[in-house]
Amino acid sequence: MGGLWHPGWRRVAFCGWRWIHPGSPARAAERVEPFLRPEWSGTGGPERGLRWLGTWKHCILPARHPALQPPRRPKSSDPFTRAHVEEWRRRNKTTLTYLAAVAVAMLGASYAAVPLYRLYCQTTGLGGSAVAGHVSDQIENMVPVKDRILKISFNADVHASLQWNFRPQQTEIYVVPGETALAFYRAKNPTDKPIIGISTYNVVPFEAGQYFNKIQCFCFEEQRLNPQEEVDMPVFFYIDPEFAEDPRMINVDLITLSYTFFEAKGGHTLPVPGYN
Amino acid sequence: MSTAMNFGTKSFQPRPPDKGSFPLDHLGECKSFKEKFMKCLYDNHFENALCRNESKEYLECRMERKLMLPEPLEKLGFGDLIAGKSEAKK
Repeated sequence: MGGLWHPGWRRVAFCGWRWIHPGSPARAAERVEPFLRPEWSGTGGPERGLRWLGTWKHCILPARHPALQPPRRPKSSDPFTRAHVEEWRRRNKTTLTYLAAVAVAMLGASYAAVPLYRLYCQTTGLGGSAVAGHVSDQIENMVPVKDRILKISFNADVHASLQWNFRPQQTEIYVVPGETALAFYRAKNPTDKPIIGISTYNVVPFEAGQYFNKIQCFCFEEQRLNPQEEVDMPVFFYIDPEFAEDPRMINVDLITLSYTFFEAKGGHTLPVPGYN
Repeated sequence: MSTAMNFGTKSFQPRPPDKGSFPLDHLGECKSFKEKFMKCLYDNHFENALCRNESKEYLECRMERKLMLPEPLEKLGFGDLIAGKSEAKK
């Protein structure tokens, strides 16, 4: 068959047809494909088809034909991109390894923090409180704030199982911040057996308690009273002068110091508050 | 005594004394000084500022009798009393 059905003309006809009928080239290919098979015409053959393919670059249809397309190689076998992909994979692996190592290190650090902090507290002597210890130089140099008079009232308590008579020897005392003061408690053992007591204290209001510094007292250590013995127990303390500068303490005029005695079982040592 | 078990509520943290604990005065060696101090307090309506001499003497008694570690009185906050005494002596 020649003439208009010559393969070259066939393409012209088809592309013209496609131009008029824009649409899915694949569907068109199904319809037109039989006409484009090389065996349709005696002349030409696949080479001719390919040659004509070049002249009709903008005509998509022939390119879709599987026999007419350049063979497509899979991406990973292309040597250039394969190296890239390998490189990315290696980099990802190292990054992930680093991240995992950091995570494990953080976990380990959080466990190690407990003994490390304990060491730090022991060396610097901070004892668990954020304020560095009250040095005796501070007492030496502190200036009493004479215009702020505070009333310190005293309270004494005894645990139910302890048979001591424990009471303060003054109900209150008037001090100013920055002035050292002395106060007395009295304890009597009315029983016939020696009793060992140990005490702790409390200061109300709680915020003022941080300014209440005891230079020496009788708390947190075992005190032994022989039968029928009565002793005076002094408390030597001062209120930190910075109390007068704390805005939260503006309305605080009364501080209550309360001691409580407990019976100490022989051989037991109470942990002193702070970091041991 | 408050335990610090409640989150957010204020709690009291007891602190150990700076110089530790006073040994008990079993023999009453400094009792006279204590009595003087207490009398001074009662007379002055419990004002500490007026009785600091007596408290200084009590602590000196303790230090002499080995009931307290000897410390220079300035470090115990009695620096002004010492300075006053030395001025009066001059």
